[in-house]
Amino acid sequence: MDISVPLMNSLTLGSLYTLMALGLTMSFSVTKIANFAHAELVTLGGYVTALLVNWMGFGLAESLVAAFFASALLALAMDELVFKPLTRRGSRTLYLLVASIGIGLIVRYILYIYADLNGIITIQTKADIQIVSQVGRAAITTMHLWIFPVTIISVILLHVMFHYTKVGKALRAMADNEDLARVSGIRIYRLRRIMWVIAGGITGVAGGLWSAYSVLTPEAGWQALLRIFAASILGGLVSFWGTIAGGIIIGLAENLGISIANEFFYVNTAYRPLVSFIIIVVVFLFKPTGLAGIDVIGWIKRKMGKGE
Amino acid sequence: MQLDFLLNYIPFISSFLILFSIYLIMSLSLNLEYGYAGVPNFGHVFFMSIGAYVAGVLTARALDFFSGSTAGYCSGQAANIRGDFAIAHPEISMSLFVVSLILGAIIGGLFGYLGAYPALRLKEDFLAITLIFIGEIGRIIARNEEWLVCGLTGLTGVANPFKWIENVHLRSVIYTALVLVFAALIYIYTERLVQSPYGRLLKSIRDDEIAAMALGKEVPKVRGVVLIIGSSLAAIAGVLRTFYLQSVVADDFLPLVTFIVLSMVILGGMANNKGVVLGTLIMMVLDMFISPSFFAMMGVIVEFDITYLKYVLIGVIIILVLMFKPEGIVPEGPVRTPAVELSMQVEEEVEKAVQELIEFKKQKEGQSEG
Repeated sequence: MDISVPLMNSLTLGSLYTLMALGLTMSFSVTKIANFAHAELVTLGGYVTALLVNWMGFGLAESLVAAFFASALLALAMDELVFKPLTRRGSRTLYLLVASIGIGLIVRYILYIYADLNGIITIQTKADIQIVSQVGRAAITTMHLWIFPVTIISVILLHVMFHYTKVGKALRAMADNEDLARVSGIRIYRLRRIMWVIAGGITGVAGGLWSAYSVLTPEAGWQALLRIFAASILGGLVSFWGTIAGGIIIGLAENLGISIANEFFYVNTAYRPLVSFIIIVVVFLFKPTGLAGIDVIGWIKRKMGKGE
Repeated sequence: MQLDFLLNYIPFISSFLILFSIYLIMSLSLNLEYGYAGVPNFGHVFFMSIGAYVAGVLTARALDFFSGSTAGYCSGQAANIRGDFAIAHPEISMSLFVVSLILGAIIGGLFGYLGAYPALRLKEDFLAITLIFIGEIGRIIARNEEWLVCGLTGLTGVANPFKWIENVHLRSVIYTALVLVFAALIYIYTERLVQSPYGRLLKSIRDDEIAAMALGKEVPKVRGVVLIIGSSLAAIAGVLRTFYLQSVVADDFLPLVTFIVLSMVILGGMANNKGVVLGTLIMMVLDMFISPSFFAMMGVIVEFDITYLKYVLIGVIIILVLMFKPEGIVPEGPVRTPAVELSMQVEEEVEKAVQELIEFKKQKEGQSEG
């Protein structure tokens, strides 16, 4: 069995899921909303990129920047119009989840109407894809040279922001305890807006990259949402590095894992989403803190201590 | 003459009433779980699909078995044979309907018990996430398995129990009446349940789980029971739907259906069955007007699929209600126990007496001044 193709797919999709899930992790840790409208940020980014490249003749880079701003704007609008008023009134988090389902429906089906009017129910960014090199049977294309660097750069930028800037530290404080952050003089609503812009923007970029990698429909984000949630939950929903590990693990399990299961146990590859689902259920039931709750260094220290 | 005119409308009215009843059963059971007990079962459509699959598989397999049909389970020919056999043997097709209802409710309840496993352990929004995705996984499995409901093409030839009645209008009137009776019975059942002490127990758990536990209530058990009841009611809705459409397609059971039902519950008013009936009615009327056939009738040509507009509207309704009227059209009323009613009566009478006393005093003062 040649694993180069599924392995390549795993890494590509894993990076995309990571990029999509980072936004969800950010917004969940700061606002405690399980945002189902996150799916629409992905779709919007994808559509904006595809339309700009295909119709307007922009380059991929400019289109991705546009996708960043489009999704950031949508995320900001969601919060300002719906989530913030509801939170201020002291709504339970479940109400916010229901509201996010409502937002998701509105955005998704407006997009559907727009796509139907223009005959673009399925769309793919016509990026100039060339094969750069070959690993086994898998080709490394220019698309991969976009996806991997963008993911790595975003992760590094976010890490720097969260650990070395005032905004990032304040955001972490806010995620930890909003009331305490507020009495410490942090302007939580301004910070919240910054957070939504970044979270929405990254997700939009991920959608844009995804649109160049595969065909999108207005429902694409919703279909990816299971994986996004699974990656985020596997990472513990509030952990940055946990999400990255989660995204890659989901990517590997859904492609390489299913390929192996198909080869040896004749599992239908259509059962791909089952992997993410099982991960969600197992993590929720047995280890709600996810990967972030696993203390590797402590474990090694304990082992060493026992060894002595 | 007048009657012929009415007859033309029978298919239209009966389909509206049947869909209304099915959605009503769904929204009443979701209201029981989410509105009263506070268990956010957003995978409600999954339990409906269980009922639909049970009815479809049981009826189709049984009809194949009794008729000795050799055509493939999923072929169109098999569907025709089933239909003809059901027309020739009314007793078999009717008893299959009854058996489907009973088995569907039982198996739906069993799956509800499975759903109760996470429900006892998870925080409410995590539970909602898990249940939404349980529904999706159920659908993905069903659409990929040929032996269940024929995968993507769907199972056809699930004969309606009254297929043997020759008059088409009479047949649809009888089935409509039957479905309406079911909806009414379930309304009475849920209403009785929530007005009983058990209903107050559900509300107490929803409002303050720890307080209910401190009073010695078995919170996990009650939640499990509610999920079992709600799921078997949803399964009954699924069975009725299958026999109405005479087919089952796995891709009909999208999470969207749960969200539509949720919008009915939220719009009408959570933890209020009367409100939920109103909410369901409003949404069904909307559904009727925002449909391709109605737009075509009015001569309005729209370049896109009208159903998209309907879903946008459902999203708008969910958000507007949550933001401006979170209690819904009909807010949750006080619990009507005999004691409360008695005390309300006493209060009223006392108030009346006080009013009389004040008037009497005024009169007296007026007299003395005069």
